[in-house]
Formats: sequence, C-alpha cells, structure tokens
Amino acid sequence: MNIPDRGYTSASTGDLAGRTARLMVYVLLAVILMTMDYRGRHVEKVRGAVIGLAEPVFLAVESPFRLAASLRANVRDYQTLLAERDRLERSLRESEARLLLVDELARENTELRSLVDASEQLETRFLTAELRNIDLNPYSHRVLINRGARHGVRPGLAVIESEGVVGQVEQVASRSAKVILISDPDHALPVRVQRTGLRTIAYGSGRTDELRLTDLPMNVDLEPGDTLMTSGLGGRFPAGLPVAEITAVQRPSGEAFAVAQARPLAGLGSIRHLLVIELEAPGPLPGLVPEAAAEPVVEFDPDELTAGEDP
Amino acid sequence: MSARTQSSGLLLLTLAFGLALTLMPLPDALEPMRPYWVAMILIYWNLEGGRLRYLGQAFVLGLLMDFFTGTLLGQHALGLVILVFLLERFRNQMRFFPPWQQAMAVFVLLLNERIVQLWIILLGGHGWPVWTWWLAPVVAMLFWPWLFLLLDFMRRRQRLLRS
Repeated sequence: MNIPDRGYTSASTGDLAGRTARLMVYVLLAVILMTMDYRGRHVEKVRGAVIGLAEPVFLAVESPFRLAASLRANVRDYQTLLAERDRLERSLRESEARLLLVDELARENTELRSLVDASEQLETRFLTAELRNIDLNPYSHRVLINRGARHGVRPGLAVIESEGVVGQVEQVASRSAKVILISDPDHALPVRVQRTGLRTIAYGSGRTDELRLTDLPMNVDLEPGDTLMTSGLGGRFPAGLPVAEITAVQRPSGEAFAVAQARPLAGLGSIRHLLVIELEAPGPLPGLVPEAAAEPVVEFDPDELTAGEDP
Repeated sequence: MSARTQSSGLLLLTLAFGLALTLMPLPDALEPMRPYWVAMILIYWNLEGGRLRYLGQAFVLGLLMDFFTGTLLGQHALGLVILVFLLERFRNQMRFFPPWQQAMAVFVLLLNERIVQLWIILLGGHGWPVWTWWLAPVVAMLFWPWLFLLLDFMRRRQRLLRS
C-alpha cells in the first residue's frame, strides 16, 4: 500500500541508451518548435487560439489581486480621496486648456490639408486599458491588458501611455489582449528625429530601457538628447507620438553605418495605465511591423508611404 | 485504480497551483528571483509519487508553461525534458538523500535548467539577464524542504481520507 509507483518503474526506467535516444528526439522537437516560432508565422494561429483558452486561467489567477485592490479602495479614507479629487480636477482643467489649443491646431491642419489636397485623413479613437495582474515571462517583452475583442481591440493597434509609445496589440482574446512592447528584439518602429526630420527605424534591443538605431549614415546629424517621434510611415502608429530620447551615438571606424541607442520615454518596465489607439486608416493596412525587422529597407517602399507626412 | 485517479486529482491540483504561482504578479525587483514552482512540484511527484517520469509528460507540461507565460514555444519544454532526464539518472540516489542534500541536488538541477534557458535567451537576441536572475535556483533551494513537507502532508492526508 505504500508503493504508489508500482507498475510505473519498469515502464519508465528503460535502458540508458533508449532514454538518451528519446531525450534527443524531444530536444530536437523542442528546437524545431522554437525555430518555427522564432522565424516563421506557422505557430501564430495556434498561439492566437490558445490565448482564448488561457484567458479563464488568467482571470482566475488575477481574481484574488482584484479583490485585494477593491478592498484597499474601500478603506481609503475620505481626506485622501478629497485631496486626490482636487489634484485630478486641476490636472483635468490644465489638460482641457491645452486641448483647446490642440483643437485649434487640428482645425487649421485640416484646412491646410484640404488646400494641398492631402488625401489621408486619420481619425483616431482612444480606448483606456489597464495592465492585467499577470506576469508573463520578462524575456517575452509582452504584457497583458484588460481590453479585448469585446471592446473593439484588434491585432495591430498602437498602444501608448502618457509619456510615449508602448507597443502594439499582437493577439486578442475576448476580454484581454497581448501587447508586444517596442523593446522586443523582433519589433521595428518607423521613427523621425524631431530636430532634424531624419527618418529611420528604431529596433527593440531586448532590454526595456533601450532601443537601437542601426542603419544610420556615417555623417548623420544626431546627438544625445534628441527626441524620436513616430513618423507615421507604415500606417500603424499616428505620426508625432514621442517614442524615445537618444542616449548615445557611435560611429565605429571601418563600419558602413553609424549606430545609436535610445531610451524609451514610456517606462516599459513599470507601465500600468495604457491607451489603445484606433486608427481609421484609408486603404488596407500594410504588413505587421515586426516583418520590417527582416527587411529594414521597408521604409522606402512606396506602398508604405500611405501616411506620407512630408510635403 | 481509484487510488490512482484520486492521486492524479491532487497532482493536477498542485500543478495548477504551481502555474498560478508562476503567473502571480511580483514586484519588479523580486520577479527575476521567482523560483520555478512547476519544476519543483514535478521533481516532488517524480521522486516521492513515482509520477511524471516520462519525458513526454515533461515535454507537454513545458509546452503548457510556454503557452501561459508567452515564451518561445518549446523553451520551457526543452528545459523540463532535460531536467527529467537528469532526474531519472540520479533518482535512486536523490530519493534517499537527507533533506538538505536533496535541496542541494534540486538547486543543481534548477541551475542547469537556468543555463539551458540562458542559452535560448541569448540565441533569441535578448542580452544578458540581470544578476538576480541567477538567485532563482537559490530561492528554490530554500523553499524546497517546506514544499516537500507540504506536498507530503497533503498526499498523506488524502490517503488517510481514502482508507
């Protein structure tokens, strides 16, 4: 009665050679799967289906933390709430005042655009989202948000926070979505240097506090402190969103291109509140931005110039 | 036969709990040090329950981990298959180790798993992990005796309830 493993012993402890052979088969299988996942898009469909299946698990794991948060919110005292309300009201007034100016600029912009017959008219709609209390593997550079297909989130939508660009929606379940961060090594973001107007692509570095610019001309006019904005090329992100600040520029001798590092303005490691931007772009959306990583020249493709923000 | 199915229920319950602990949010500073709960629970069931001894079971469990944590498909599977292979190799010694020595063996197994993971992380182009990432096997080693006692207690109690 104390031998619960009877019957299993003989089956699983075969001779060492057989076991090693089986190990090799499984290792090979795992390596093939990883390569397929890393290189191709064959696994994407499976993953998309599985995020729907995984959602109940995410909700279940999250529920005790949501309960704790609501309890904490219930016992917050009156004075703190009042103070917070005052602060928020002040910040709302300031934002409204600033918005007045923006509205004026937008109106002016439309007029100017109609004068030069610029065709594209990008309507934007915002959707607030919060991070789910789920820690995905930090090396996957993905976060889970609490908005999904039910709220109108679609794969490919841009995600920002108050400081700057965060990433884009990768997979969608009914009430959650997975967002790929701009720091993922597979992610490429078309950007523009604010000071000089130079357009290039910012690649994820695999670290949440760094982006890389790798294909810059040697004589590029770029200095630490320059701000990178989205260029709007590719039609995925609206133009003019702040992305990152240049931290270092190197011109290695003997190399064809200069390289630079930039620090994302959004705190990618510590984000909580996000905005999903819905762009009503005219015409079909171009391919996923991560595909641009394989082909850096994509920014010069005439088909990609739908956003064409240069005159 | 019903003994087996009942203990399978407990096995699945503990694995689900391990998965929940894996997805549970932790402060950023502690996150890299999160012990590999699912692997520890697997080691326990392998050593004490004689369950989960097939490489295929470890592979499937690893794939599930990959799906839930959003890693490359096969990353956890590779680590767990190698871990179960090594575990089987030293199973007869490990079963009769005193607790502290068993904890050391678990540390070595999980450290080896981390090295496999590091290899994949570096190949994937994600730079070196922070140094606290290497503390996870140490934390696992400190938790091991308590996890062992807890799971042993649960298994014993279930057996008493049954008889």
